[in-house]
Amino acid sequence: MSEEAKASSGNAEPTATRSPAPMWIIVVTLALLFLGFVFFDKHSGWFDAKIYAPYSSPEQLEAFQPKSGAAAAAAQGKKVYEAVCGICHGVDGLGKPGQAPPLAGSEWVITKGINRLAHIPLAGVSGTLTVEGKEWNLNMAAMGAALSDADLAAVLTYMRTAWGNKVGEVTADDVKKVRDAMGGHAQPLTGDQLKTMPE
Amino acid sequence: MNSAENNLVSAAKIDASCRVPLLALFGGAALWLVVGLLLAVLASLTFHAPEMFAHCPFATYGHLAPAANDLLVYGFAIPAGLGVLLWIFARLSQAELVLPLIPVVAANLWHLGVFIGLATILCGGSSGFTWLEFPRAAAMLLGVSFVLIAFSAVATFGQRKARELYPAHWFLLAALLWFPWIYSTANLFLVTTWPVRGVTQAIINWWFADNLIFVWLALVGVGVAFYFLPKIAGRPLHSRFYALFAFWTLILFGTWIGIPQGAPVPAWLPTTNAFASLLLVIPLIAIAVIVFKTVWGAPTVCKGGPFCYLRFGMTAFILSGLMLIASACPEHARTVEFTWFGQAQTQLQILGFFAIVIFGAIYEILPRLLDGGLPFPKFVRVQHWFFMLGTLLLVGSLAFAGVKQGRAAYDPAAAIMGLRIATMGWTFFLFGSLLFAVNIFVMTIRWKLALAKTVIAYIKSPLETSEVKP
Repeated sequence: MSEEAKASSGNAEPTATRSPAPMWIIVVTLALLFLGFVFFDKHSGWFDAKIYAPYSSPEQLEAFQPKSGAAAAAAQGKKVYEAVCGICHGVDGLGKPGQAPPLAGSEWVITKGINRLAHIPLAGVSGTLTVEGKEWNLNMAAMGAALSDADLAAVLTYMRTAWGNKVGEVTADDVKKVRDAMGGHAQPLTGDQLKTMPE
Repeated sequence: MNSAENNLVSAAKIDASCRVPLLALFGGAALWLVVGLLLAVLASLTFHAPEMFAHCPFATYGHLAPAANDLLVYGFAIPAGLGVLLWIFARLSQAELVLPLIPVVAANLWHLGVFIGLATILCGGSSGFTWLEFPRAAAMLLGVSFVLIAFSAVATFGQRKARELYPAHWFLLAALLWFPWIYSTANLFLVTTWPVRGVTQAIINWWFADNLIFVWLALVGVGVAFYFLPKIAGRPLHSRFYALFAFWTLILFGTWIGIPQGAPVPAWLPTTNAFASLLLVIPLIAIAVIVFKTVWGAPTVCKGGPFCYLRFGMTAFILSGLMLIASACPEHARTVEFTWFGQAQTQLQILGFFAIVIFGAIYEILPRLLDGGLPFPKFVRVQHWFFMLGTLLLVGSLAFAGVKQGRAAYDPAAAIMGLRIATMGWTFFLFGSLLFAVNIFVMTIRWKLALAKTVIAYIKSPLETSEVKP
């Protein structure tokens, strides 16, 4: 054996001490595992093969899907309601005291036909109107007159199916019939006038 | 009976039993290292003058770069690592190498496989998968040779005198199992007549690249360091249970990394990668603490010798691991992924960490293999400087180029300055590897001459005659 090999180290085989691994590194491991799982839970989509970054759940993907049929009408109705009606009647349909009566559970909304209901947005309301036993004395402009038949139908459908209301669907044809029957009438209606109309 | 003296005698015998297989493995490795680095320098030169090899189809960047990378890993890193592993197994077992002829044959088959692979890549027959460019024939030769060498290593392991394993055993045994597993899996899924389809190809390729470059090189490099650091420092490893913890966390978290954050694959794959990368901090901390506590304050003077190599290599390993974690960090990955930053991490892992640790080990082993020691002992110190400067220049400039490129929205021109500096890094590595090759080739030639002289002397010597008394 050469000199430099002898100089750098002997021939003895190395050994290892038996001191245990310290507690802190185990604590750090567990802390990182926790953080890692939180991160995984947030971003992984739990092994769903359809989910790609930056999305992380099937619900998110659903929200971005284009809709068709009844689902599309419901989504459109909600959108129009929130833009046109929700400002006064509230996005929860509970109305605002002194401003607008509630729509959720209102006898004006839950009706057999839509003749009377459709007149309200098409013509507007003035004077007194009784809703669920409470008297409201307010003016409402013809907020729905400018909406297309399809949009108005979608809004009415939304009102009649959201917030616990469970009455049938409104089609664009139903709205068109009411609008045609009204002719050019554009004066706001009073509560009494509305009451005399067929449902 | 003097047991210490007994040990010494058997140590010399063990070293003698390893001589031929180790010289076969190291000699080929040295040759491929020089050729690989030469190809890497040529590939890097195309960033200075793109038209330089334009008329020469086998010397375009697309041929040179993968050939250079494959030579560094398959030509140099794996056979050199296996040679060191065989010696460590024989020494730890206190037994001579079992069936030394098998690794000699396997080493030659291995180098033949690398030669076939190199020729195929340069002729344009690369499979197109990173780290799997070798054709089927070469891949099969490599696989068979690896299993043969592993067989000899495990047979030697079976001869061990002490029942309890030393920490280096775990890392090296795991490496013996790891490579056949990942190499056969990746080849069967990708480099066949009917490869898997679609994005699965990329996923398997990323998985293989991480398991080969990060996990396999780490298992061997750290295992070798855990053997030689306490041996040179003359102190026990700190400690057995710490090393056990580092071992399990390394193979548990290291193996899921590799899918880039921006990869077009389902979100759970990059997320799992980020999760495992975050936890990779744990084995890195554990290994850093083990190395630090084992060598800190040891009365060892490094003087550019093997101890210097091992210390630098282990520092590079920690840095390379941190770079890997940084490139998997969801926020920052957007800047550096798919840039030269990844190349910087790969080269730091291969050359800065693995090659330097293995050189440290080889320079410990070589003087023991043959009488007379190294022909040029001063080269060891010079090579250490070449490799340190090469690592700093190459990895620093590539990482810088990568970050700049990422900031400039993948503008290829942003990286050009860094790539030109990297050529200098490659050249330093080439010079360093030439010194290693000269040392090992002169040593082998001297040994063969001495062997020939002995044989000739034996033939020429007069036959023994016995006097017959009348």
